Amino acid sequence: MSTDDLTEDLTRNTANAPPELLTRSFFFLCAVLSIFTTLAIIALLVTEAAKFFSVTAPLMGIEGETASVVEFLTGTEWIIGEGKFGVLALVTSTVMVTLGSAIIALPLGVATAIYLSEYADPQVRSLLKPALEILAGVPTVVYGFFALIYITPALRTVFPSIGTFNLLSASIVVGIMIIPMVASISEDAMSAVPDDLRQAGYGMGATKFEVSTGIVVPAALSGILSSFILALSRAIGETMAVTVAAGAQAKFHNPFNPAAYLDGGSPMTATMVNLLTGDITGGGLAYRSLFAIGLTLFVITFAMNVISELVAQRYREEY
Amino acid sequence: MAEDGINRREFVAAAGSTLGALGLAGCVENDRVRAGGGGGLSGSIDIAGSSTVFPLATTMSERFKILHDGVDFNLQSTGSGGGFANHFCPGRTDFNNASRPIKSEEQDACASNDVEPVELTVATDALTIIVNNDADWIDSVTVDELASMWSGEEQPQTWADVNDDWPDEPIELYGPSDASGTYDYFVEAILHGGENELSHRQDYSATEQDRTIIQGVVGSEFAIGYMGYAYYSENTDRVKALAVDNGDGPVEPSLENAKSGEYSPLSRPLFTYPAKSSLANEQVASFARFWLANATNRKIVADEVGYVPLDAEQQAEQLARLEAAIWEANTDN
Amino acid sequence: MATEDRRSYADGFGQVSRTVGIIFRYLLLAATLFGIAVLAILLVYVANDAIQPLTADAGWHLTFFLTLVLPSLATGGYLAWSNVDGLKLGAMTLGLFVVGLLFSGGVAIIFLEVLPPLVWFAYVIAFAVPVAVTVGLQQRSRQIPFVSRFALATLAFYLSLFGFPGIVGSYAELPQLIPSVATLILFAPIVPLDWIQLTLTVGVFAATPVALYASAISDRRTGLIAGAAALATVAASAVVGPAVVGVGPIPSVVLASVAVLPTAAYVCGTAVTREQARIGLVLPVVIVAGALAGEVLVDTLGYAGPQSWVDWQFLTSDHSGTAANAGLYPAIAGSILLMLTVAALSFPIGVGAALYLEEYAPDNRYTRFIDVNISNLAGVPSVVYGLLGLGLFVTRLGQSTGTILVGGATLALLILPIVIISSREAIRSVPSEMRQASYGMGATRWQTMKNVVLPRAFPGILTGTILALGRAIGETAPLIMIGAPNVLYSFPSELSSKVSAMPLQVYSWASYFATNDFYEKAVPAGVVVLVTVLLAMNSIAIVLRNRYQRET
Repeated sequence: MSTDDLTEDLTRNTANAPPELLTRSFFFLCAVLSIFTTLAIIALLVTEAAKFFSVTAPLMGIEGETASVVEFLTGTEWIIGEGKFGVLALVTSTVMVTLGSAIIALPLGVATAIYLSEYADPQVRSLLKPALEILAGVPTVVYGFFALIYITPALRTVFPSIGTFNLLSASIVVGIMIIPMVASISEDAMSAVPDDLRQAGYGMGATKFEVSTGIVVPAALSGILSSFILALSRAIGETMAVTVAAGAQAKFHNPFNPAAYLDGGSPMTATMVNLLTGDITGGGLAYRSLFAIGLTLFVITFAMNVISELVAQRYREEY
Repeated sequence: MAEDGINRREFVAAAGSTLGALGLAGCVENDRVRAGGGGGLSGSIDIAGSSTVFPLATTMSERFKILHDGVDFNLQSTGSGGGFANHFCPGRTDFNNASRPIKSEEQDACASNDVEPVELTVATDALTIIVNNDADWIDSVTVDELASMWSGEEQPQTWADVNDDWPDEPIELYGPSDASGTYDYFVEAILHGGENELSHRQDYSATEQDRTIIQGVVGSEFAIGYMGYAYYSENTDRVKALAVDNGDGPVEPSLENAKSGEYSPLSRPLFTYPAKSSLANEQVASFARFWLANATNRKIVADEVGYVPLDAEQQAEQLARLEAAIWEANTDN
Repeated sequence: MATEDRRSYADGFGQVSRTVGIIFRYLLLAATLFGIAVLAILLVYVANDAIQPLTADAGWHLTFFLTLVLPSLATGGYLAWSNVDGLKLGAMTLGLFVVGLLFSGGVAIIFLEVLPPLVWFAYVIAFAVPVAVTVGLQQRSRQIPFVSRFALATLAFYLSLFGFPGIVGSYAELPQLIPSVATLILFAPIVPLDWIQLTLTVGVFAATPVALYASAISDRRTGLIAGAAALATVAASAVVGPAVVGVGPIPSVVLASVAVLPTAAYVCGTAVTREQARIGLVLPVVIVAGALAGEVLVDTLGYAGPQSWVDWQFLTSDHSGTAANAGLYPAIAGSILLMLTVAALSFPIGVGAALYLEEYAPDNRYTRFIDVNISNLAGVPSVVYGLLGLGLFVTRLGQSTGTILVGGATLALLILPIVIISSREAIRSVPSEMRQASYGMGATRWQTMKNVVLPRAFPGILTGTILALGRAIGETAPLIMIGAPNVLYSFPSELSSKVSAMPLQVYSWASYFATNDFYEKAVPAGVVVLVTVLLAMNSIAIVLRNRYQRET
């Protein structure tokens, strides 16, 4: 704070000079643009989705077919031809991909973070970190093809009944994709744990294993949790990999039934891509459903990001 | 650091002397001054619409491009309906491909933007039922069996549930998703074909892309799927097509049978819709003529893409319709 | 250092339960390697499908093993054993050259297909003139007040680029009285040859840093000589390239400026400054010589190489309905143009926002709101950005679907939060003492930022931007949403022309084209090209960051 005050003092005389004002206003506009982006997204999704639901469509001056909000939120069937728009049929597929990828990415990500922060020597670290970043740098559509062309046939040798489009292969690639996210945020949190705590642990006679699992991980827990939520939110919004690998069949699954993973599904994002490239009567109800799904997706990911932010702030240990 | 850097003026002088001589020798007359419009066609042609017609449109544009290098093509596969609603009717594309005739609400939407579609039939497709190459117990299927297999009302789980002669193995179904025109057509021709109005079952593996249906069927001995003939014709060695029996004995899906109408009820016409106003542009009119002129070309339409070409009579009819539209478009403006 | 301390503490208690600790350690290592290993295996598979190394003659493999692999491994191994710094230097040189080659390919495509050299030349000159005027004005900053200087500079830019009355006048339908500098050059009766235009522009752009670098490690005179030599090299390449290698004069000039010059400068510079590591330069020499020797040998011995699908023809052809003739050229050009548009839009705005938040913003609730908002935007799925592009730019603003402008703007919005966040980190890492020192000297905020903060933070900002751009060109879903075409044959020439991109083209091939060749060869070939470009971008960013972190 005090340095800020000092800066204020030092620059007060020149703060209103024309070049200062000009640059300052330009930078301010740049920062405010992000608010406009958010507002534009919300306004667009809300107004377009409003045209989809029967409650709000008359307000938007839309006549003809509409869908009920209750049926949209509670319906379990998504059949465009029959006018059935139950978003749960899509949400369950999304949940399954998210759960499946979480099972892969969360433990691996945390283990990676512990290794990088506690065990790896600097040389190894400087090799592993960029390699992990590359996992996140490969385009998602490429991951989709990997899942469809290489992973699914490999899985078929284990599960002969697996479909060509299945949620398992999609979960695996999405899981691999989000490992770096979990690892890097968790590692930041672990690195922020002060060395005093570790040394106190060693002083008590703890082994390195005990210090890592008993001191560092609990101390970094808020960061780890927030990395989980962010990574899951990324998995929910992941589009091309699931579009290519999971198929397009909107089907209500029980996410906790392992056998369902061998089956195909149509996560929300994949449904949106398919709605836009399909032969449906565009401009009609089906087209507007695109924005209703978009709004649902936005609300879910936005909520998760906010929660992650809160977790990181609220439960952060101050050292 | 500034002192170490070279003086800008010195640098420019050095660069100038290095290139001075070269520069004098290396001048040419500026052809931009003389540049007028080049010969031949130019401008762009935007095409969107059905993924079924997409391969045909690409092949045609590829050939047209060889003759008229100045024309830019933008081709997009958006689905018939998406193409009409989001691209064609708002006036953003010149052509919209469709695997079904334009619907009246789409016509209204176009009319409200003063876009007038001109319907041109460009080929015939034969919807093809495919099974795995190892499925040696089956060579043909009746329309009723198909209806029962795909109906939401019966939902047979094994092959034996449909026909006792077939193995007692779980049936794996692959098909286009319900956002596709092929799905609509299948429902209309098979499930709504008889006296009862069946609904399409939803527990099948659906995909937006025909080519992945083949992938699905290749992967499993007890799979069955349906899709456009074009994709089958490219993959005759990887999957087996079933003959379809509509009461008059099984008929193989083939170009001949589709053309003669024997392969029923699964053959359907494919369309492209140029906007009448766009036809006033020389390159658009010229491409439309080119497409129809080659619509009877067996080598392009059948061998390369896998659809049934038009016959001479159909071609003449479509050409007459096109010429009338071009004439109107040019006189309107 | 802290790790060393910790390890010595831990080792002191080693006797208690070593097994658990060791097992745990290796489990962690295995977990860390899992993802990397899976990706590596998948990449090997896809490369195998695309390049098909097994179709080559055994003699081909043997020749290259003997001329390229064996000597490189031997040299590399020797360097790793005797001089690790040397090995790093060698690898770095090689990497610089390869990345330069990729880059020059991209730049050459632009000059060959999109931007005629004359147009580029005209606009560079039209920019250079007012820049010179502005610099001149700046030197008289004491006599002329800021507002007049600003007005004069703006006027100079306007006149040079648009003439009088220019675009403002054309709205009012006034006749053009004075042509702009750009127009004067564009329609001059006599103009320099293409390659001379490029040498004068691109060559000068490339030679200037060479000159600065040389004068920084030696003296001004050496710098001048180095710069002149660099420019001469570029000019000479235009003659040598077509005659010897068979590359046209335009690509030759670009190749010389973008790939050869930086590598040569780096080699010469390190040879002078890092005598210890100098020996490492042997490695790239061995590799390049080995590759050339192998090529000549297999040619004379008549061994057939692999029937790779990633070949010159694939990189330079348009799409085709037959897989064997299909190429990625328009999609590569589209990706480059999209990337330029995205960079032009997101870089100034992103850095501007980061500067505001770090340097100006008061610590209050509004600032925190913007802050939270930006991190939330970073988590919004790319399809939603696609919807935004569709709804905002296409439906509301009436732009046509799938143009460079719409695609670029949508992707720019998508990566803007990432650019802002990484730029903020880079700016924050500049020690505040440096700022205070600058303020203490009487500098204003903007002067401090321009002279102290930005130069120091620049490598970090660049790293973040490159990573974000990599994300942007790998995106497919937003392009599908805004209706980018699946197939086009020609190059987008202006911001309002339609554009395809590499990932979209690959997706279209896999989705809409029936033959197996597309699925099993053309698509893997496309994937290999796409992944190569992205890996190159990622490695530039990572190398840049490593150097930068070492310095601060």
